[in-house]
Amino acid sequence: MIELFDVTKRFGSETAVDGISLRVEKGELCALVGTSGCGKSTTLRMINRLIEHDGGEIHLDGQPVRNFDEVELRRRIGYVIQSTGLFPHWTVARNIGLVPRLLRWPKARVRERVEELMHLLGLSVAEFAGKYPRQLSGGQAQRVGVARALAADPDILLMDEPFGALDPITRETLQQEMRELQARLHKTVVFVTHDMDEALALADRLVVMHQGRIVQQGKPIELLHEPANPFVESLLGGLDRGLKEAALIQVSERMLPLGPRLLASERIPYGAPLSQALSVMLWHRVDRLTVVDEEDIPIGELSLRRLLGAKTS
Amino acid sequence: MNRQTAVAVPGMPVASLRRWLAPLAWLSLLLLLTAGMTHLEWLFRLIEPDTRQVIYRRAGFFTLLAQHVLVVGAASLLAVTLGVGAAVAVTRTAGRDFLPMVSQLASIGQTFPPVAVLALAVPALGFGTLPIIVALLLYGLLPIVRNTLAGIDGIDPEVREAARGMGMTAGQILRQVELPLAAPVILAGIRTSVTINIATAALGATVGASNLGDPIISGIVNGNTAYIVQGALLIGLLALCVDSTFDRMQRRPDA
Repeated sequence: MIELFDVTKRFGSETAVDGISLRVEKGELCALVGTSGCGKSTTLRMINRLIEHDGGEIHLDGQPVRNFDEVELRRRIGYVIQSTGLFPHWTVARNIGLVPRLLRWPKARVRERVEELMHLLGLSVAEFAGKYPRQLSGGQAQRVGVARALAADPDILLMDEPFGALDPITRETLQQEMRELQARLHKTVVFVTHDMDEALALADRLVVMHQGRIVQQGKPIELLHEPANPFVESLLGGLDRGLKEAALIQVSERMLPLGPRLLASERIPYGAPLSQALSVMLWHRVDRLTVVDEEDIPIGELSLRRLLGAKTS
Repeated sequence: MNRQTAVAVPGMPVASLRRWLAPLAWLSLLLLLTAGMTHLEWLFRLIEPDTRQVIYRRAGFFTLLAQHVLVVGAASLLAVTLGVGAAVAVTRTAGRDFLPMVSQLASIGQTFPPVAVLALAVPALGFGTLPIIVALLLYGLLPIVRNTLAGIDGIDPEVREAARGMGMTAGQILRQVELPLAAPVILAGIRTSVTINIATAALGATVGASNLGDPIISGIVNGNTAYIVQGALLIGLLALCVDSTFDRMQRRPDA
């Protein structure tokens, strides 16, 4: 659990972070969103004390971070940055094993852990363990970056725009993997991004920052329905909000069991978001879809009225 | 997997031998000429047909070579220790304020001609090896300081940031990240410094430090071109030998 109480940071005469309070529960993924220069990165880096806060307190599991030795604190917290920060003179395996080696794990255990993580992140050990960072694509390098952050199995993960430098397709793949990873590992994650779609897709809690202050925080759906002010509303997409909301709801939540009617010709997987279902309807000019499971077996149907959230079908 | 390693291992020494071929060739040529200079009397006779003695005999060439290597080695070792040490110190947070001073001092060291340093050092340190070591040290400091500063400065700040964020101590970042990453640039500086000093060390002969400069100075004084050629040849070969060794060291096998 991470708690910030009235935390402030000034650089010279400029106040970068202005009295923010925040509580990230254990196992929760909290996304800090805002335009550049809003203080979200500074906030993140104060948690592992890469930047020291000037005022207020930051607690990890009830303990002020200042009570920890800063080096030991950082070894307990996973850290992922946009540029990956991989060491160019070390192989992938050596990069991933960094923190366990700093913690003086026995060699065999480090090796085992590195291989375990490479499997977890979908990196073939035979192919990648001996490669150098410059031989990797952007997506592969960032997977290594995430593996390195997870190496010593920290409870807390800090991610600073981890997928910001990737092309849209790779970014979406990694977001999907991140969601699956988080569902398995239940880390306490603070995730900084300026990409609202990314934040909506990943976050359990959304924190919108502006000029060093928290403007609004809550569940993504809450913010979508009740943005506190025009700034949050525009950040959340303005008129596109309907589609963003639809992206948060799965088809399975709105589908009905198979009825007596003939199956609709177009199909949609039950785990797909409503926005995708809407897109399929628009594309094929139909108002009814057959919902299928992983094996493409029909399990229900979705009508446009149900998709829109109408009570009767 | 095992088979592959078994095949690769015997191949290794051959590959590394080929890598060191040039330095080894220069080294053997240097040693051969040092040992066989006296047998080349007929050759030097062509340069100096009228002189009675055409081979420098006041000291053995091996002794001169050993002294030359020793003087340059001692000066370079000191220059590397001081140069890299100073450059590392002023790139730490605590030493940042001294950065301009150190880089200026090193520049001044090189603008000072070694002959002038020798002239000033002799009254203070007496004749012999010490003044030439001091002169070489001052002269060789700049390339090392400058390159170490450039090497450390050239490291991607994000890499350093990640190293801190992972929980590496300042010492670990320096030893495991900064120095290895800056190594090629630092090595280039040491290479320049040592190569220049091999040539400059010949000046030591003027202040009584006997080395490969002896035949050259003696040749100039006595008007004996053969002596000059003998000294110059060996110094040139020694420089080539060291330079090509550094060249191989800078080329990483994985690069």
